[in-house]
Amino acid sequence: MLKVPHVTSYLTEHFAEDAFGTLAGYEKKGGYAAARKALTEMAPGDVIELVKASGLQGRGGAGFNTGLKWSFMPADSDVPKYLVCNADESEPGSFKDRILLERSPHQLLEGILIAAYAVGACTTFIYIRGEYSFPADQVERAVAEAYDQGHLGPNVLGSGFRHDVVVHRGAGAYICGEETGLLESLEGKKGQPRKKPPFPAQVGAFGMPTTVNNVETFCHVPYIVNRGAEWFRGFGTEASPGTTLFGVSGHVVKPGLFELPLGTPLSEIVFEHAGGIAGGRKVKGVIPGGMSMPILPAGQLDVPMANESLRERGTMLGTGGIMVMDETTCMVRVGCVISYFFRDESCGQCTQCREGTGWLNKIMNRIERGAGQSEDLGVLLDIAAKMEGQTICAFADAAAWPVQGLLRHFRADFEEHVRLGRCPFTASFEL
Amino acid sequence: MPTLTVDGRVIETAEGKSILEALDDAGLLMNGVDVPHYCWHPKLSVDGSCRLCQVEVEGFPKLQIACNTVVQDGMVVNTTSDRVRKAREGVVELLLINHPLDCPICDQAGECKLQDYAFDYGVEKSRTREPRRAAKKRVDLGPTIVFDQERCILCRRCVRFCDEVPKTRELAVFGRGDRSVIETFPGMELDNPYSMNVADICPVGALTTKDFRFKIRVWFLEDVEGLCTGCANGCNIYLGIANNKVYRYQPRRNDDVNETWMCDAGRLSYRDIGAPDRLQYAYVRDATGSLEAAGYEAAIGAAARRLRAIIGSKGAGVIAGVASAHATNEDLFTFRRFIEALGTETSGVAVPKGDADDLLIKAEKAANAAGARALGLGDASLVADRIRSGGIDALVCLGSDFLGTGLLANVEELAGLDTVIVLDTHKSEFSRVAHVILPTRHAAEKHGTLTNAAGRVQRLRAAVEPAYEAHPDGAVLSHLGKALGLPGFDGSYDVRAVSKALAESEPAFSGIHLDSVGDRGRVLIDPDASQRDREPEGPNL
Amino acid sequence: MISTGTRSKIEAEMERYPQKRGALLPALYLVQAEHGYVSSDTVRELAEIMGLHPVEVMEVVTFYNLFFDRPQPRHHASVCTNLPCSLRGARVLLAQLEEHVGSKVGEPTDDGRLVLGHEECLGACAFAPMMRVDDAYHEDLDLEHAKSILDALE
Repeated sequence: MLKVPHVTSYLTEHFAEDAFGTLAGYEKKGGYAAARKALTEMAPGDVIELVKASGLQGRGGAGFNTGLKWSFMPADSDVPKYLVCNADESEPGSFKDRILLERSPHQLLEGILIAAYAVGACTTFIYIRGEYSFPADQVERAVAEAYDQGHLGPNVLGSGFRHDVVVHRGAGAYICGEETGLLESLEGKKGQPRKKPPFPAQVGAFGMPTTVNNVETFCHVPYIVNRGAEWFRGFGTEASPGTTLFGVSGHVVKPGLFELPLGTPLSEIVFEHAGGIAGGRKVKGVIPGGMSMPILPAGQLDVPMANESLRERGTMLGTGGIMVMDETTCMVRVGCVISYFFRDESCGQCTQCREGTGWLNKIMNRIERGAGQSEDLGVLLDIAAKMEGQTICAFADAAAWPVQGLLRHFRADFEEHVRLGRCPFTASFEL
Repeated sequence: MPTLTVDGRVIETAEGKSILEALDDAGLLMNGVDVPHYCWHPKLSVDGSCRLCQVEVEGFPKLQIACNTVVQDGMVVNTTSDRVRKAREGVVELLLINHPLDCPICDQAGECKLQDYAFDYGVEKSRTREPRRAAKKRVDLGPTIVFDQERCILCRRCVRFCDEVPKTRELAVFGRGDRSVIETFPGMELDNPYSMNVADICPVGALTTKDFRFKIRVWFLEDVEGLCTGCANGCNIYLGIANNKVYRYQPRRNDDVNETWMCDAGRLSYRDIGAPDRLQYAYVRDATGSLEAAGYEAAIGAAARRLRAIIGSKGAGVIAGVASAHATNEDLFTFRRFIEALGTETSGVAVPKGDADDLLIKAEKAANAAGARALGLGDASLVADRIRSGGIDALVCLGSDFLGTGLLANVEELAGLDTVIVLDTHKSEFSRVAHVILPTRHAAEKHGTLTNAAGRVQRLRAAVEPAYEAHPDGAVLSHLGKALGLPGFDGSYDVRAVSKALAESEPAFSGIHLDSVGDRGRVLIDPDASQRDREPEGPNL
Repeated sequence: MISTGTRSKIEAEMERYPQKRGALLPALYLVQAEHGYVSSDTVRELAEIMGLHPVEVMEVVTFYNLFFDRPQPRHHASVCTNLPCSLRGARVLLAQLEEHVGSKVGEPTDDGRLVLGHEECLGACAFAPMMRVDDAYHEDLDLEHAKSILDALE
């Protein structure tokens, strides 16, 4: 089935056309013009300044200013510098990068070329999660085409800039989406995140200065170069410019991908674009940005989907993966599923994460079984507090936040399980 | 020099040091400033994963791990705040939820960092109602170590040790998340010359040595500072003593000598102390040619009579002396005086040799070869040559190394001597040719100093008393000297006085004696002059 | 034994990385494609080729979901059971498939044809329920469709 967004904008405008995935088809739509412009008419520093000015935020979950991140790379360097494309998309609820890889690999490569030129990287490693076989094939095919046409290699687009791309497939570990876990994995090791400092811009892939950006982040770059920072700022909010790809899943009529400006109200996405709740039921809660992000209750869906506004509601944009749950949903079961995932995927380095994820999961399961006690709710929150902000990487936070969110907004569900000694949500999704 | 303030205490440190290193260098870590830690070890790379050493650093919103936070000049650190305490409680509680809590049957109980910190930071009652993780209880990792996966807290000290110190890489963490386990590669063993150190650095009872397992509860043990005498490195150790018995050696940190490590062979050499082949009596060969146990005084008398007879008939020049490189500086100083007083010119020291590596293990398999050289004792090959050429009628030999160092083809080469007197700790082949055998004390049973391969003079303490009459070599020589009427020998042996006399007489030892070397030892003066030949063997592989 | 063909592919992979260890994941895919799993003997051999210690290879094998350290059935069919898929009936589907093939999750069928599994999110959230059969995704599944996919496996 063709994976085409239900709502498109500049990034996904041509996604219905298969040819857009080929070099010729992509160039026909103006592809690689931005790379030509950057590599031949702009100084690397100007590219960084332009992207900074655009306000582009990383689309991998943390939302850091992309141009600023690029500026951390040493300008002068005796050693090779690397760029890494994080295509290890594994955040539950997220599938936008997969569609970008499948439908527009050249759009990604063009963004990579511009970024590589800006930071002075000689090689880009595209780290694609192991399960994404088809997307990886598409990227490898596009890379081969690009080499063939001189868009990669010793003299990119005739500009004299040399650049190589290596496609690297992961092997099934969520933690490799964390940028230093990814670097370890790229180096042939277990994907265990590194202590920081040093940061990747100083000591990254294979010990060299490295910048890691998400697939979608790269894809925005050619449009910024072509059309300017002001144009880009015409989309989205003051603090969060541009469009992004919202992935909507769960109990909606029309699940799918939606390219919309940042700041679009969550209720608009769920009820207008995604067609509302299936079966005429009511919404109960929505996870707004991938599973790591705390859930929002039905009453808070007016929130604009941008970090600055979501933070005020105690959650974040994350990867823009929106999971919608209807009124039948048992939030303890949701907690079981979420905590199982984080238990399964913890790399196991840090005490709090290795032990805390398992403990959270065991308590969730016990409450769902009907063997919960009223103290358990406090213990859950206490474990989450002990995990949050205390570990090498943000995985433990990502495991703690959803638990906090569920108990903040759906404590009654938990209390009801404890009180009745069973799960009262007979119509809920099955575990 | 960056300066940091920890809990109001100002500490100077070198550039690039972490907070924990700065505290450790200042001698304050867990000794004035408590920053508990599991994965950090002063001699291993930083892991940063146990998260126990989190402290507050001014200017950082989050707690920082002290092991990986490099000191910046003016840094202000708080290790006692509520936030820090809560973080520690969190780590300890989370480690305990899957820990078996089998302290009553755990060998580590009493020296377990989890037990200690659970006491200091633990919640009073475990809040977990969940079943604990089940794992393998008695994994035989190799010839020396047994592993309990349930007790393991995954600090990875053992993994890093094998990677970084012997560089043998036997151990790794397999799996992911809470299914992570430390294991060897299928079919491979943890088997390297330093393997037992992993039991020392394991903060819990996960790794235990087969040798020490279930022998005694550690709280019955008294740790006495001492030295390993297995080779010329002079590794600093604790002797674990109970009821006048040595149960184990463990390395004692001395960054100038052995850091925090020791080799397995040296560690297991404690077994020599109470070995069944210790010499518990003196022996004298009777008129029928049979070697019989004898009282110590009688044996000294017999030895003196034989030597006096030889001196009377042929002069002292036909007597040879062989010293032991196991003997202390004080023993050897007394030996030298003994030889000089006798008036013979044939003496030397026998030094056993073996394999060496570039870590700790030295080729010279005796603790004081360098001391012997510093005292001017030459190689015992001179003695062997003169015996072979027929110029020697009597031999006074300290220890049995003279037999095992290849200087003699076999013990029968000594069969033709009129008199063979041996001072030794253990039974040996000498029993076939010796006329008098006098029991001596093991290094663990006497005070004194030893000079290691690097010329460092270190303190030896009597940790246990032999259960039978045995004296240090120096005392035996003193008794023998008195019995022979040698000038300067009154039969007394005050090791402290001998050590000071040595320090006054020998320029290399100037000011260096038993009471002045301190915990970490002192290097000989002008080692170029006195130590020209030190550590003559390269790695002998 | 790693074949000479695979060995030369591994050596080519090693050339693509600034440090040859970077080629470990690709190399493990290659040996797994050849043998179906990565045995400890294969690990030793691969470690030798790549200049690594066997435990360095083994810990990588055991860390990642897509590497297997023991023989595998001919096919892996894994239903995603993460939240978006569970909300759309993935766990019910998986239970029905267990019944259909007569084997529980994680237990290979007696004929060694297939093992059912469950996966965490595979990036098909809007196309749930879905399953990954070997390298291929099958999305927007219903029970009949899923059964027919499994039945078609050799």
